[in-house]
Amino acid sequence: MPTLPLSLKYKINKTLLTPIFYGEIMKKTILISVALSTLMLHATEKSDLENRVKVLEKALNAQKQDKLKQALNKSNSFNQKSFIPDISLILSGSAVARDIDNDQYEGYGIDGFVESTDEIPFNKNRGFNLNYAEFGMHSVVGPYFDADAIFHLSPNEFEIEEAYITSKKFPANLQLKAGSFKSGFGRINAIHQHAQHFSNQPLVYEAMLGVEGIKDAGVSLNWVAPTDTYIMAGAEALQGTNELSFGRSGSNNLYVGYLKTGFDLGDSNSILAGGSVAFGKTENGDSKLYGGELTLKHTIDSYSSLAWQSEYLYRNREDIKQSGYYTQLIYDKDSNWEFGVRYDALNKNSVNQPDDLKKYSAIVQYKPFEFTKLRLQINHDKSKSFEGIRKDENQLLLEFLVETGAHGAHAF
Amino acid sequence: MKKTLFATLLLTSSIFATVNVATTYNYLGEVTKAIGGDLVKVDVLANPKLDPHFITPKPSLIGKLRREDLLIINGGQLEIGWLPPLLKRANNSKIDNGGRGFLDASGAVTLIDKPVNVSRAYGDVHPDGNPHYALSIDNITPIAELISMKLSQIDPANGAKYSANFKTFKSNIERLKSKLAPIIKGCQGKKVIQYHELFNYALDAFGAEKVSNIEPLPGISPSSKHTLELINIMKSQKIDTILQDVYHEKRTAKFIANKTGATIKIIPHDVGATNTANTIEEFYTEVATKICQ
Repeated sequence: MPTLPLSLKYKINKTLLTPIFYGEIMKKTILISVALSTLMLHATEKSDLENRVKVLEKALNAQKQDKLKQALNKSNSFNQKSFIPDISLILSGSAVARDIDNDQYEGYGIDGFVESTDEIPFNKNRGFNLNYAEFGMHSVVGPYFDADAIFHLSPNEFEIEEAYITSKKFPANLQLKAGSFKSGFGRINAIHQHAQHFSNQPLVYEAMLGVEGIKDAGVSLNWVAPTDTYIMAGAEALQGTNELSFGRSGSNNLYVGYLKTGFDLGDSNSILAGGSVAFGKTENGDSKLYGGELTLKHTIDSYSSLAWQSEYLYRNREDIKQSGYYTQLIYDKDSNWEFGVRYDALNKNSVNQPDDLKKYSAIVQYKPFEFTKLRLQINHDKSKSFEGIRKDENQLLLEFLVETGAHGAHAF
Repeated sequence: MKKTLFATLLLTSSIFATVNVATTYNYLGEVTKAIGGDLVKVDVLANPKLDPHFITPKPSLIGKLRREDLLIINGGQLEIGWLPPLLKRANNSKIDNGGRGFLDASGAVTLIDKPVNVSRAYGDVHPDGNPHYALSIDNITPIAELISMKLSQIDPANGAKYSANFKTFKSNIERLKSKLAPIIKGCQGKKVIQYHELFNYALDAFGAEKVSNIEPLPGISPSSKHTLELINIMKSQKIDTILQDVYHEKRTAKFIANKTGATIKIIPHDVGATNTANTIEEFYTEVATKICQ
């Protein structure tokens, strides 16, 4: 505390030192001492601050120097890591118990529809199967196109499942797809096996189109109406290589059209309905395929729902008229468990062919985590012929299905 | 006089009647309505009572997206499980990722809890950090400012109105913050359990401590082992509050509460998640009151 010359001065004249007067002196003394000490502190504070700023400036300069030193060695100038496509890997494997031996099972037929199947890509063997390792890639080519490719790798085969480009800025809100892809015909033709609710396709698809469905090189044009209700119209021109329904090889032969609509009923119900046609040619004549689909989904809460889905397919192939349908109920109980039942029937067949081909399936799926599915499915199949003889087949299968990497979300 | 009137009419007729905006979540919709007023028409895609990670990509949402001028998302990978197929189907180049009418609101805020290691071994991790940043009232003002800037970019003629509305919004939020300040004091040092890491931003802002979660890992359902461990932790640390969201199962929390005497608080995660949080003000008030009182 500095000296107080004023107090000395006033001490001399004691008569002036009344309590109030003394109080005033004390106040002034305190004020002056505070001012003086603040000035002193300011002085020390100022040099303190100056020192700290100097330290900071030095550190900043050192940082700048460091950056330059590092830049001397910068060499990853042509690295394109940020442009690597989204890559995903999906694995499916199954253990199958079946009351038909593998030699008998191979080349099974569906009377009136399939004479002898030449390919069983999924769950083929009684015993263990690696169904596929699916390699999916998605990439943005530029502002105008995206590219997608899905490769199926199985023990004996590398197959391009789909490879196509999709447009992004086409006029009139049209969407163009070109390449080799699964047609948008029907409700499930375009959906990949791992995204289906059952481990195998419905009977009517298997019978009329085979396990691959309609999958061809070609072009597709889609248009979504600018309305609140979802209305989507699509038209496709495809090569038509599906030998079960089409297959004329002289030139491209298949034209597909579809109209789909979807809307909500209240907050928790959604309806998706649609109609599809596929007009093509076999080696011997015309072939026309018609499909109708209806899906009703009731959302119970964030993790559970009940969905009823049905499709009916009618085919007029070389004047032979056949039809079939399936109806399935899927109960998504919570984020871990899903249950499903499905009834398949081929109700109309060519003359002298059975019209009571049916199949019953039930499935329980356990999902410990979002991308891991364990499925237990039981089939009672009354539709197949083995080595020419129609016979019931019972099958129990346990499948694991895992999705890894950057796989996009699945549609509705 | 007639000439200027005519010119003004021509000018106004060339301006947007309304800007059609789609937002993924309800709070974004509410902010957009506050900033845009009658200059915007807002469609909210997700139901606020459901889990924001798992919204069903219903076809009816495609029709909406088809016609929008602007899409505002929460970001932080919260929509990645359901929005992209809808966008692809809607094929609206205005709102596609990279288009002029696309806005990721997470750009306005700093995300916390960025994982050191990104791997699904740790559950359903969000590589950019915790996406539930809307739970802290401190983040709503920068988001509102971002939306105001974006609207001005798309509809420049009304820029002044958007700015003015933002100023009003900002001062309303500041007032609300002062009102909530005494309530929030009750959270200092308070220890809580959450079902899922939903409320981290609020807890950090309040000075509360999040001790553990009912989910063993993000996206993994509760297991008996983890639940028992949790009960022990709660007993030894005397934790008496469980923060539960509106959409997850309540069984596990009830079981834990039974064994520990803790209270379960149902907290909204979005405007409209509970019946008492129908506006932005009600939402933040409910979050603060339920957690801190």
